[in-house]
Amino acid sequence: MDPYSAEGELVNIHSAFHQGQFQKVIDFDTSSFSSENELPARILKLRARLAVCEYSEVASKLKGDTSSPDIIAASILAEYLKAPSEDSKAVAKAQSLAAKEGDNLNVQLLCGSVLAHSGAVEEALALLAKHQGSLDAVALIVQIHLQQNRLDLASKEAVNARKWAQDSLLVNIIESWVGMREGGDKYQAAYYVFEELAQATATQSVQSLLGQAIAELHLGRLPEAEAAFEQALQLEPENGDVLANLIVLNTILGKDTTDAKSSLERIKADHMLLVDFTEKRSEFDKACDKYSPKFEA
Amino acid sequence: MLTKFESKSSRAKGIAFHSKRPWILVSLHSSTIQLWDYRMGTLIDRFEEHDGPVRGVDFHKTQPMFVSGGDDYKIKVWSLQTRRSIATLVGHLDYVRTVFFHHEMPWILSSSDDQTIRIWNWQNRSLICTMTGHNHYVMCAQWHPTQDLVVSASLDQSVRVWDISGLRKKHSAPTSMTFEDQMARANANQADMFGNTDAVVKFVLEGHDRGVNWVSFHPTLPLIVSAGDDRLVKLWRMSETKAWEVDTCRGHFQNVSSCLFHPHQDLIISVGEDKTIRVWDLNKRTSVQSFKRENDRFWVIAAHPEINLFAAGHDNGVMVFKLERERPASTVYQNQLFYITKEKHVRMYDFAKNTESPSMLSLKKFGAPWMPPRTLSYNPAERAILVTSAADGGCYELVSLPRDASGAVEPTDTKRGSGNSAIFVARNRFAVFTQSNQQIDIKDLTNSTTKTIKPPTGTTDIYFGGPGCLLLVTPTAVVLYDIQQKKQLAELAVTGVKYVVWSSDGLHAALLSKHNVTIVTKALQQISTLHETIRIKSATWDDAGVLLYSTLNHIKYTLMNGDNGIVRTLEQTVYLVKVKGRSVYCLDRASRPKVLTIDPTEYRFKLALIKRNYDEMLNIIRNSSLVGQSIISYLQKKGYPEIALQFVQDPQTRFELAIECGNLDVAVEMARQLDRPKLWQRLSVEALAHGNHQIVEMTYQKLRNFDKLSFLYLATGDKAKLNRMEKIAEHRGDMTSRFQNALYLGDVENRIEMFKELDLYPLAYMTAKSHGLEEEAASILEASGLAKDQLTLPKLGDPIAIPQASVMTHSANWPVKSTSSTAFEKVLLGQEGDGDELATANGYDEADLLEPDTTGLNGDGLEETEEDGDAEGWDMGDDVEAEAESDFVNVEAADAGAGSSEADMWARNSPIAADHVAAGSYETAMQLLNRQVGAVNFKPIQWRFEEIYQASRTFLPANPGLQPLVNFVRRTVSETNTRKVLPLIPRDLESILATELVAGKAQMRTNKLEDGVKSFKKILHLLLVNAVSSPTEVNEAKKLLYTAAQYTVGMSLELERRKLINNSVDISTFSEDIKKRALELSAYFTIPEMDPQHVTLALFSAMNFAHKNKQLSSALSFANSLIEKGTNAKFKENARKIKAICERNPNDVIEIEFDQFAEFDICAASYTPIYGGSPSASCPYDGSKYHSKYKGTVCKVCEVAQIGAPASGLRLFV
Repeated sequence: MDPYSAEGELVNIHSAFHQGQFQKVIDFDTSSFSSENELPARILKLRARLAVCEYSEVASKLKGDTSSPDIIAASILAEYLKAPSEDSKAVAKAQSLAAKEGDNLNVQLLCGSVLAHSGAVEEALALLAKHQGSLDAVALIVQIHLQQNRLDLASKEAVNARKWAQDSLLVNIIESWVGMREGGDKYQAAYYVFEELAQATATQSVQSLLGQAIAELHLGRLPEAEAAFEQALQLEPENGDVLANLIVLNTILGKDTTDAKSSLERIKADHMLLVDFTEKRSEFDKACDKYSPKFEA
Repeated sequence: MLTKFESKSSRAKGIAFHSKRPWILVSLHSSTIQLWDYRMGTLIDRFEEHDGPVRGVDFHKTQPMFVSGGDDYKIKVWSLQTRRSIATLVGHLDYVRTVFFHHEMPWILSSSDDQTIRIWNWQNRSLICTMTGHNHYVMCAQWHPTQDLVVSASLDQSVRVWDISGLRKKHSAPTSMTFEDQMARANANQADMFGNTDAVVKFVLEGHDRGVNWVSFHPTLPLIVSAGDDRLVKLWRMSETKAWEVDTCRGHFQNVSSCLFHPHQDLIISVGEDKTIRVWDLNKRTSVQSFKRENDRFWVIAAHPEINLFAAGHDNGVMVFKLERERPASTVYQNQLFYITKEKHVRMYDFAKNTESPSMLSLKKFGAPWMPPRTLSYNPAERAILVTSAADGGCYELVSLPRDASGAVEPTDTKRGSGNSAIFVARNRFAVFTQSNQQIDIKDLTNSTTKTIKPPTGTTDIYFGGPGCLLLVTPTAVVLYDIQQKKQLAELAVTGVKYVVWSSDGLHAALLSKHNVTIVTKALQQISTLHETIRIKSATWDDAGVLLYSTLNHIKYTLMNGDNGIVRTLEQTVYLVKVKGRSVYCLDRASRPKVLTIDPTEYRFKLALIKRNYDEMLNIIRNSSLVGQSIISYLQKKGYPEIALQFVQDPQTRFELAIECGNLDVAVEMARQLDRPKLWQRLSVEALAHGNHQIVEMTYQKLRNFDKLSFLYLATGDKAKLNRMEKIAEHRGDMTSRFQNALYLGDVENRIEMFKELDLYPLAYMTAKSHGLEEEAASILEASGLAKDQLTLPKLGDPIAIPQASVMTHSANWPVKSTSSTAFEKVLLGQEGDGDELATANGYDEADLLEPDTTGLNGDGLEETEEDGDAEGWDMGDDVEAEAESDFVNVEAADAGAGSSEADMWARNSPIAADHVAAGSYETAMQLLNRQVGAVNFKPIQWRFEEIYQASRTFLPANPGLQPLVNFVRRTVSETNTRKVLPLIPRDLESILATELVAGKAQMRTNKLEDGVKSFKKILHLLLVNAVSSPTEVNEAKKLLYTAAQYTVGMSLELERRKLINNSVDISTFSEDIKKRALELSAYFTIPEMDPQHVTLALFSAMNFAHKNKQLSSALSFANSLIEKGTNAKFKENARKIKAICERNPNDVIEIEFDQFAEFDICAASYTPIYGGSPSASCPYDGSKYHSKYKGTVCKVCEVAQIGAPASGLRLFV
């Protein structure tokens, strides 16, 4: 039986992971799981710990553990996330592991993440393309496509996934990612997916609340978006992504964002918003240099 | 069929409904007549004067009386008031079968086994007509509801229709009639064989093969229905001249005892000895419904004349029932009510517009005919509805609503299935519950089952339970069930829940059962519950969290804490759907939306009280006539005496309340007013408890309670007052009191003195002795003429010192917790001042705000739109190509590499600089600005670039471990064509008008010119990189741009002037040059185009400045302008005075360069005039003018554009 099917052991932990309820995954009682599901559950837990930024803990815990390629892959990802850069040793390790164990799903997912993050997009896609009916892999592929601005490819993947995975939770989420790029009515559809997750106590998480808030922001429903951000902040006051998006909202509302920015700098200095911001500032100066204004003395 | 009431008795033979009250008369085989209240289920009275079975009863339509006929051959007329028989009509020679009142004449129609039908006048108790012709028992005779006809049924197998118009004429009020008329009337009706012309047989209907038991007329149509021992129900039609059989309803398998037409619907209802009630379709004559009783044969059926109720009499009593539920299926989504009409059409009612849509769908084919849908569930995401019906053991149908309501169309694409309840649980899921196999299926919109749930056994219904949850209703409990986790989250023991109503915020739900309302949280925690003796029909939530519910005859409210009360009474039963302000929206039993007006004051007040929202309370008190004894006692009961205190005028009540809430000041005030000992007494006790001894002292004084007063002084250590008390005691001649005071004071001499006065020498001696006053003792001895040795003294100890108060508290009260004014009082006190201030502030702002809005359209708009048309034409062409291309792209082409981001699209799609900024393409944005407005200095607008860029991207976390997905915020929210998408630009025109412009003008008014210049420059920068949504707004923006530039110039040159003379008024100490320049600048300040009230300010300051510095000619001209254009009456007054002064000697001391009559602009750099004709350059962005020598430099006003640069004009709209 497919362990991810509605009656399977892994379905709840897997859903929790994709709903962004990482703590729930970490705390999940897996003691009663059958032996073949033990490893996937463990990997899920490791991924959840990585998602809550426990990079060093995971890395040190897995150090030297070569019991299975899955675990090795997890330790590579942990090592990479600790200090992400293109020339990290982890990237090379990931490449070699991918070559050796390319058919292992977790290797695909974890090494694929490393490769995609480090910019080796084509390699990542090639690795992930080997998956056999894994929605996780599809999710990664879709995200990579979206990051490459290949909306067409991403939406094709999503449509395909919908065909074989029907209405699974992850398919809905993937469609929402795509929908947030397509816009129009899709904003509303994405909003429904996120809102459904965010407003039910059993499935609520910062990630889904954030999704809801962003969808509302894109729909132009700013007060509602603000309320959702508030809710997310209450759950987790120091979440970089929430803060970054809140800065965006406040900018739109014409509010001052300096405080929010400095606290974001404290929490997550390498957030895209800040990196981008500095980059743009220098670009501005460069562009300015082309003009030489003359001032009246 | 829904049974509403059942009684247990012997065989019921006759039934009658009261038309107004919930009463039913039942005549029994056991000679009793019962009067029941079927709504409350109580037996009101029994009438037992008949001898033997009573077969017929009828209420009078308007008068408080009824009639009965029985096997004792008698017809009795009864009064409902005295509950007595008032007349007995004797004449029948055998059992009386039926009796009926005429609807307007004072007549009773009776049928009897003596083969006659008789008409009686109950007023004079006479028999007025006997109709003979049947040749067997007459089982039933009824009046026609409108015409002068009677129909009768007999065991002779015939039904007869009688014409009684002759009788009517005979008994009408006599009118003058000619002989001919009388003759004509006599001959008009063919006399029967006995020469009787009053009632003649009109038709004889033959068709039944056995005796006929019952017959009735249709209420409106010329139809007759009859029921007979041949087990048939026959339908007859008649015209003026003939009557014929239409059809037969077959189905009863025993004698049919009674039958009638449904008063409102095309149905026939019959009952028979086969123990069934059967419902037939009048038009098709097919069986619609049948209901079987186990053991009881039915004898009679009656219909309520107005409401949808029936009663049937059987072997063991009576049952009152409804054929169908009358609760219209409906659901509310935001401002829309979806409901199903009696014709089974789906309609929508808009609460915002108060309009009803035309029918959107027809559900004629859904369920069974004559059975209305039970529930309706709406899915806003898919715009679909889910309808259930009880037909065929429960079925549901999923239909999508058409976009526009275009009439009752049959739905095309429907999904259906069987189940008792079906509700949407998520955007794309619904739950179907089947009671027979106790299963809930979760289905997707294609109607395929995705999940199956086994609910707890005995589940009877399911309801929405919040996102992802269901409420499962069992007869004894409600269970909150999580669909995804498949587990029970909570369970609450509530019996007999029938409906669940959620509040609009989804935090609370009301569980309605027949007689109870239970309010629970979304986690199914019980908050409150209440019981109603009368049936609860429906409920809805107010936005403030008040539940309004309707019973059969009231609308009531309940607060979360269980407080409840009546809002209004109802004349007919309604089903509430929404409350909005003073309007309650509901559906009536005919499924028509209605709006009822209510007065929500009472519950709003109570709610505000609970939430301690004093502003709201105050508002309610001010704006309504709520305050009365009831609300005060309510406040008192609920423990808010301090609030109640605020409303009460009556001193006695005020005193009570003040005591209760410990407000001594008020209590004292009231006690003074009333000045009654009892009140002082209570006040003293209360004040003592507070430790407020000053008040205690005062009350004791009022009460003349000297003892207590003395003791109080002792306790507080107030020696001086104690001394006074002693004086007073002496004055009053109260020895005991004096002694006591002396004791308190420790005044031994005084005490001895007192004893001596009273001739109590031994005591005096002892006192002196014990305090060591030997001399005194000796003198006492002497006075009493005794020697020392004659006395035997007890052993003396040391004199005890009087304990003194260790802390002198008399000077001030005990530190009492200050009776701080409650929040409510603060509101009461603070309200007025604040309100006024606010009002004035608003007044100014609004006035300023209004100006820019009133700008009209001008010709420019037209040009813009034309341009647009062209552009669109081009875009269309491109679209086709793009789509064609994308068709060839397939998944295999994945290695085609990265695509262009949406941001690139923005830059491609728009000629507006702001859009390029949002796209992150600063370079092209600068190019555009340079071309459009000659911008060269970008530093001042760097913040604006960053703001726009920052507002254009959101970060959606996707897969953990990867960077979040960047999404692009659009201002074209509904656009999906990538060729047309455009970014959102923060700070639109409206927000600038509302923020910076208002601020700038306020700063002008309040003379904060530095800030003002900043505000207006900010406007210029905001507008420079911006986008607007319509050509009209382009003009508004341009106007704003001009205004901002003018203000900037004006304020800048005024600042320049102040700088020049260090802000002083008197400039005599400065050099001539500076004087001249200052005067000029002050004059130029009046030139820029500002709002009239601001120009007034400039003129006023220029006038004063000129006047003070002896520039009388200039001052005169400013004064003139001020009088002409000024907006301020006080200023004008001043101007007139100055004008008067200046006119005496209109000369300037210093010649300044200012010609009030010439047209000129001010150079924004040098602040000197540029007269018409002289060479000048202007800023290509804001249009400010400069002397030509400034050409090529950066504009002083906007600080961005290059003066005199070639420019194509700013684009703000695509």
